[in-house]
Amino acid sequence: MMPSTILLQIIFVPALAALLILLFRFQLGKKSGWLAVLSLVYTMVLLLMALFHIHGGDPIQENYQILQNPDISVTLIADGLSIAVALICNLLCLALGTYSIKYIYHRIEVLYPETLGNKGETSYYACFFYLFLFFPVGFMGVSFASDLVLMYFFLEVLTLFLFFLMAYFGYYERVWVAVMCLIWGIFSALFFLAAVAIIYSQTGSFQFDQIHTMAGDPLAFWVILLALIGFIAKLAIVPLHVWMPWVHAEHPTCIAGLLAVYANIAAYIVVRMLILPLWDDFQVFGPPIMILAVITMIYGSLLTLAQTDMKRIPACSTISQSAYSMLGIGALTAASIEGGLFFFLSHIMGKTVFFSTCGIVVYMTHIRNLKYLGGLGAKMPITAILFLCGGLMLAGIPPFSSFAAEVVMFAGIFERGDTLGLVVGIIGLMAILLTISYAVHFTRKIFFGPLPEKLAKNNHIKDPPWSMLAPLILIILVSAFLGLYPTLVMELFEPVISAAVANM
Amino acid sequence: MDTQLAWLCLIFPLIGVLLTPILARISTQVMNFGAVFFSFLTAVMAVMMLPLLFSVERLPLESTFVWLHTPIQVSFGVLLDPLSIIVANVVAVISFFIMVYCVGYMKGDPGIMRFWMLMNAFIGSMLLLVLANNLIIIFIGWKLVGLCSYGLIGFYYRDEKQYWIGGPAPYKFDVPSACGVKAFIVTSVGDMLMLGGILIIYFYAGTFNVLELYQTAPEWIPTMAATPGMIILVSILLIAGPVGKSAQFPLHEWLPEAMSGPGPVSALIHAATMVKSGVFLIARFIPIFYYGYWMGGVEEAMYFFIIVAWIGAITAFLAASQGLVATELKKILAFSTVSQIGFMMLALGVAGFAQDILVKGYMAGTFHLISHAVFKACLFLCAGTVIHAAHSIYITDMGAMRKYLPYTWIFMGLATLSLIGVPPLPGFWSKEAVLMVTLESHHYALFTIAVVTVVFTAFYSTRYFAMMFHGRASVHINKETRKPHHHVGEGYFPQTFACGALAVGIVVLGLFGPMVEHSLYGLFNYKLVEGLGLSTVTHVPDFSTLLVVAFSVGGVLIGVVPAYLLYYSRTWDANAIYENSRIVRMVHTFLWNRWYINSFYNLVFVSGFMAIARAVAFRIEVLVDGLIQRILPAGVYGLSRFSVWFDQKGIDGVLDGTAHHVQNSAGGTLSRVQSGKIQEYLALAVIIALIISGLVWLI
Repeated sequence: MMPSTILLQIIFVPALAALLILLFRFQLGKKSGWLAVLSLVYTMVLLLMALFHIHGGDPIQENYQILQNPDISVTLIADGLSIAVALICNLLCLALGTYSIKYIYHRIEVLYPETLGNKGETSYYACFFYLFLFFPVGFMGVSFASDLVLMYFFLEVLTLFLFFLMAYFGYYERVWVAVMCLIWGIFSALFFLAAVAIIYSQTGSFQFDQIHTMAGDPLAFWVILLALIGFIAKLAIVPLHVWMPWVHAEHPTCIAGLLAVYANIAAYIVVRMLILPLWDDFQVFGPPIMILAVITMIYGSLLTLAQTDMKRIPACSTISQSAYSMLGIGALTAASIEGGLFFFLSHIMGKTVFFSTCGIVVYMTHIRNLKYLGGLGAKMPITAILFLCGGLMLAGIPPFSSFAAEVVMFAGIFERGDTLGLVVGIIGLMAILLTISYAVHFTRKIFFGPLPEKLAKNNHIKDPPWSMLAPLILIILVSAFLGLYPTLVMELFEPVISAAVANM
Repeated sequence: MDTQLAWLCLIFPLIGVLLTPILARISTQVMNFGAVFFSFLTAVMAVMMLPLLFSVERLPLESTFVWLHTPIQVSFGVLLDPLSIIVANVVAVISFFIMVYCVGYMKGDPGIMRFWMLMNAFIGSMLLLVLANNLIIIFIGWKLVGLCSYGLIGFYYRDEKQYWIGGPAPYKFDVPSACGVKAFIVTSVGDMLMLGGILIIYFYAGTFNVLELYQTAPEWIPTMAATPGMIILVSILLIAGPVGKSAQFPLHEWLPEAMSGPGPVSALIHAATMVKSGVFLIARFIPIFYYGYWMGGVEEAMYFFIIVAWIGAITAFLAASQGLVATELKKILAFSTVSQIGFMMLALGVAGFAQDILVKGYMAGTFHLISHAVFKACLFLCAGTVIHAAHSIYITDMGAMRKYLPYTWIFMGLATLSLIGVPPLPGFWSKEAVLMVTLESHHYALFTIAVVTVVFTAFYSTRYFAMMFHGRASVHINKETRKPHHHVGEGYFPQTFACGALAVGIVVLGLFGPMVEHSLYGLFNYKLVEGLGLSTVTHVPDFSTLLVVAFSVGGVLIGVVPAYLLYYSRTWDANAIYENSRIVRMVHTFLWNRWYINSFYNLVFVSGFMAIARAVAFRIEVLVDGLIQRILPAGVYGLSRFSVWFDQKGIDGVLDGTAHHVQNSAGGTLSRVQSGKIQEYLALAVIIALIISGLVWLI
């Protein structure tokens, strides 16, 4: 029996858990991490229940009246598109929450050694988890929001809590980078807000389902342009990508996967807010987006290839990978959009595994510079396999879901039937080659070859505890499952995207 | 029931992969047995499909599940037709014998569990590729075999010195982990292009299903041909995949380095099966393009055949020439593999040149695939045993080993004779079929290249065999044999057994060669002409078979005799010829450096791309980052400083200055008005009232 407030619970249970952790941090002690995980397990169960319901054909809608006069109410909607996004995001939050239980000690140990063994340590430990839990709150909120104000609110929640997490638990230049990230977040948000203001001025509503009423309006062009500038910055598309390597490189690795979601979720919003309601007005933006995306794919991959810092590798890779989904979305066919969004989901799973294994290497060796790494496969065989799987998940190698996503997406790109689709499609496929190259190149650099003497002598280097490995294995299995059974995701997308596009 | 056999062919290796770690917990012996047992079951399933070839009217058979139905339709299924049944049998049966060999070869290796898992995964993936009924599932198998190949080439990932290939010093060595990366990236170039080609076909045809593509060709090929150049583009994209996977020019450079994997891996993946998948796929594509040109009247479709034939011929010649001077045993065999696959491509390419040679070309390519798989697998397995015995990868470190490895000498001898093309071994029959169809195509340039390649093949085969087993023992072998308890001898029994079994296979296939050739012709004639309705004309031979046999045997003699004199009887002194002739030295250097293609690729693609990557990361990115993250904020900060200045000097200055002046200047002057004298106030009031009244009156 599905609870009637299922969506509300999915959003607010993690927030409630955060509050409990904040209030009872000293009583909970080291259990606060498990409380966070427990709350996410609960929301996961709810999401699975919602998934079965929606897969049956009915979207879920919940309406909550906040004020009667003036009439202010909040509506949450879960359809095939949003439930898929929410489910994968929640899965990643759950996995990374579990991964953080051990990992975050390492950050506290390095950053706040003076607190070790006293209340300060517990406080910082709890602090991480109550801040962390606002990621699922933000992601679920963005997924289920039915109006622009709510969407804006949850996007800002993400930006704000990301700022605190990074400033508290990041690496060397964490405060500077946290401020930079906040400024970029606000930059995106302001453009988004400007677009929202124009929409409201023309439609008199913030609801997504009313945006279509301004289709054909000359101002629709400006709405799309402004929102796109904001989202291009969020997605780190060249040339507004410069924040990404810094931010990814300096924040704690355990939230890295979520940062990829933070950036890439903009692809989902573009489809929801701009493409589906303003289909005809959006057509003119398709080719420039495709060209920018393909440039970014190549640029990001080349940037990745040259990196020597463990944490900057996946950082730069995110630039390239986010652009994949934008390439599909920019091609503006039902298949390419669905493929692009499926790639977004596959990418965030792959990136979480890739980033987290980089984190494991840094956690175990305390080395970030590739020059001093090598041969770790002998000491960390499971980590090596996970790293390679992460790379292959990014490169779209079967059986992972990214392969199915790529096939659907590129089939959609060629379906355009024009020269641009043909040229960009082929260049895009060749750009994937660069992803394959860096995946195997870095696997070799880090895990293969002879073990440097310093690492060989260090007996502490081994595969990390299972609480760090198991979540990543779970993600790999989910990705493989969706790769073998892509119909599940595609059937969820179909009524929202294919059906809508068919009517355009 | 028959399609269930195909599914079982896919399922058994998968069970093998999953069970291996579990069996490893019991004991290594049990794990070894389990791994080989599942490959045995797979081979049995494949063999059980063979009777279908005798009731060919029942074929093709298909069994399908929906993999994806929205927004594109992809089914996951198996297709049983003569081509898939034959190739599946080649893969499954040879795999089994190689797995048996591995029990001996890999004995005591610490990574044996990983090895078994990868080997069974490979067998399953390869069979998926062969048995799949649509292009996307074929592509999945295609990528998975590439992945297993990557894992197995870099099997010795710690790069210990004994596993290095290349050299000898002062020449460069290559480490296994780098070789794996190279193979994966180079083959992926072709893969990605081929995926593009498949997806473009889907756009026009609306299906990935192989049979549907054949059946609906009359509808979608004309639509595709309406866009000028599209068929040529698709041909190039589709050929790129097989070119990469089958190590054909210009993507052939990965295979020699792939020899860094364990010996049986080279036998299985890089000789008998995976590298043939390109040939298999070209055979799958042939009916489409044949229909396009000969029945659909699309001129551009002929480019598919021209490109395939020329790539095959160039590769056959190029690789064979490199094999002439190589000294690493496995690399010679690798060059030979590349060259022989070139023959298969050549046959399949010329198959489309005329309507009367379609079936003959198709048959020749497939027949050579089968015979080469058997004798090259045997050669590689024997090479593994010999390298193990000699403790060296170089044929120059061997010599007179016949007495130490008598069985291997026989087996390898038979396989080498087959490679050379000595009748009545299978290599002779299949090579003769390739030469025949090339001659019948009336493309004499291609035929000439093929005959020259036959000469080269005979030369390098005789050379390596003589240097390994005959002549004088090398210094290295003498040193090895003087060691107490030396290992210069036959390998473990499973090794010898597997080599022997394959050697028997060579003999049997050779004895029944003409019969096999005839049966294959019948099968493919049924498949292509009656099954698919491709229009052909009856073949009337323009040239006598004897002529081709004369060319074939003549070529063999031209190659064998000098090699015999140089390396077997040593009547001619190879070193003296090398020292005395500048031209020989130049040619040798050119061939030794593999036509400088590898160096060129390294320079342009590896160093070039890394240079571009570094330029992007450390020049462009630094510049853009600096502009946006440093200069822009600095500009904003500059503006804020101006704002502060304006605030202090402008706004504050005006307000404060005014106040100051009012207080100090105007205040002092005006204070004089506040004199305290009533009469002055009164007078002032009257004056002001008069002025105001006057002004009011005036206005």
